[in-house]
Amino acid sequence: MSNPVSDLGRQTLGFVSALGNITRFGSDVVRNLFRPPPRIARTIEAIYDLGFLSLVLIATSGFAVGAVLGLQGYTTLVRFGAEQSLGAVVGLSLIRELGPVLTGLLVTGRAGSSVAAEIGAMVATEQLDGLRMMSVNPIHFVVLPKAVAMTLVMPLLSAIFIVCAIYGGYIVGVELLGLDGGAYIASLEDSVDFREDIVGSVLKAWIFGMIIGLISTHRGYTSAPNAAGVSRATTSTVVIGSVTILFSDYFITALWGV
Amino acid sequence: MASAQAATDGDEAHVVCESIHLGFGGRDVFVDLNCEMVAGHVTVLMGTSGTGKSTLLRLIGGLQRPDAGSIRVAGSELSGLAEVGLAEVRTRLGMLFQNGALLDSMTIFDNVALPLREHTKLARDQIAAEVRDRLDAVGLEDVEHLLPGELSGGMLRRAALARAIIESPEVLLCDEPFSGLDPPNVERIEGLLTRLNRERGLTVIVTSHHMASSLRMGHRIILLKDKAAVSGTPRELAMSEDSEIHDFIGADGAAYLKTLSDAEAAS
Ligand SMILES: Nc1ncnc2c1ncn2[C@@H]1O[C@H](COP(=O)(O)OP(=O)(O)OP(=O)(O)O)[C@@H](O)[C@H]1O
Ligand SMILES: [Mg+2]
Repeated sequence: MSNPVSDLGRQTLGFVSALGNITRFGSDVVRNLFRPPPRIARTIEAIYDLGFLSLVLIATSGFAVGAVLGLQGYTTLVRFGAEQSLGAVVGLSLIRELGPVLTGLLVTGRAGSSVAAEIGAMVATEQLDGLRMMSVNPIHFVVLPKAVAMTLVMPLLSAIFIVCAIYGGYIVGVELLGLDGGAYIASLEDSVDFREDIVGSVLKAWIFGMIIGLISTHRGYTSAPNAAGVSRATTSTVVIGSVTILFSDYFITALWGV
Repeated sequence: MASAQAATDGDEAHVVCESIHLGFGGRDVFVDLNCEMVAGHVTVLMGTSGTGKSTLLRLIGGLQRPDAGSIRVAGSELSGLAEVGLAEVRTRLGMLFQNGALLDSMTIFDNVALPLREHTKLARDQIAAEVRDRLDAVGLEDVEHLLPGELSGGMLRRAALARAIIESPEVLLCDEPFSGLDPPNVERIEGLLTRLNRERGLTVIVTSHHMASSLRMGHRIILLKDKAAVSGTPRELAMSEDSEIHDFIGADGAAYLKTLSDAEAAS
């Protein structure tokens, strides 16, 4: 029955309609952003859940990644006698790429999946319908605070990841491999440009935060109202979220040179 | 007294469903269903499990769209309304979901207070007083600070009922308010619904498997069968010749007719 061409056609149509759905959902979320009342308490609660509770994960992962970078960078640089530049190598790759991207992937797995599961469970237990019956818009009440929180916490988490990773690289390079601490920091300071690198890094993390916030809430919001629907929403958040982050990272880098 | 008045002068329909067709994935739930719920009446929706009682309530609440047909709630045709228009109509409705549908991240107090916080400018202590009043009416005490997950099914449904009536709606949709309740609580909830109907002229639409209380409190009963609706007064249904209806109503119908004739004999 199925042939490859019609399969491809169907998949393309499916992809385009999915893209249309999430665009409509996104514009609905944005429109609600400007409607009163501001959901400040609920947003702060979401920041705590998604951001604060991700801190340990982000900090330890950052430290580990930095330590590995320190080790790998050192063994490569020492061949060229350039081990004094370890700080620059570790710092630049973290700030420009690895910090925002790895934080994005970790946050997708840790916070994005939990957002999708929570909203999916609310769909399954008719909590969103309950809100509708009280004339409370579930996008405004449930989705918006989580999407906004995700967008706000991502740059902060990414910055924490980067700081912990630079520290991890320092521990390995300076304490373990005996590099000069002053040189590590100096090469880092010399090579990092504030506008180009730092602002770009924050911008990237911020865009990833929007992507995760939108995908995770959308997957939960549109999930089938049963346990299987919740689990599918969670899985597809992680899969779609991760792939979207990696691809958009390429495009941001290629277009803006960040 | 007030209920007799409502029944005579208010024969206007609050909710009208006309030629409703609805199917899920090729499986028909309703085929040409027609029914109406009179303003100021208690209407009981009955039918065996899976006949579409909850679905009919969802249609009336605008949570589900029919494949064809028209639903009018307080004069508004739902099919032409977008989400904003539906929100407007829903300010007149209160709904008790079969499983409560309370927000499980908020305490019972916050759940019941939510509609007031969203739609009114009442002061904190006024809201607290209203919430306590409603929780009291459904027979719940010392649960305000608990989360929905910490309550039993029957308690949950009563808390949800408190939330459904906190804004004094015109129409109350109740999905199985009695299931899982002990006899004293069935009596309490039945009394509360009857009182709201008599004193405030609230139109109550309630689904129930609880035959005795349905016959007692319903002005009209709508029985869902064969994908459509049969309606009548409790007395008409209890005396129905139709063997299916007879089987469905069972011994409670006979008992109900007996209390009616006893009452007539006494007066
Ligand atoms: N979202 C849905 N998708 C598919 N089928 C559905 C959906 N909602 C309801 N149905 C079907 O519609 C029919 C009516 O369901 P509904 O929940 O309204 O029954 P009910 O009369 O309330 O039953 P109960 O007394 O058990 O609560 C069932 O056959 C159910 O399978
Ligand atoms: Mg039901």
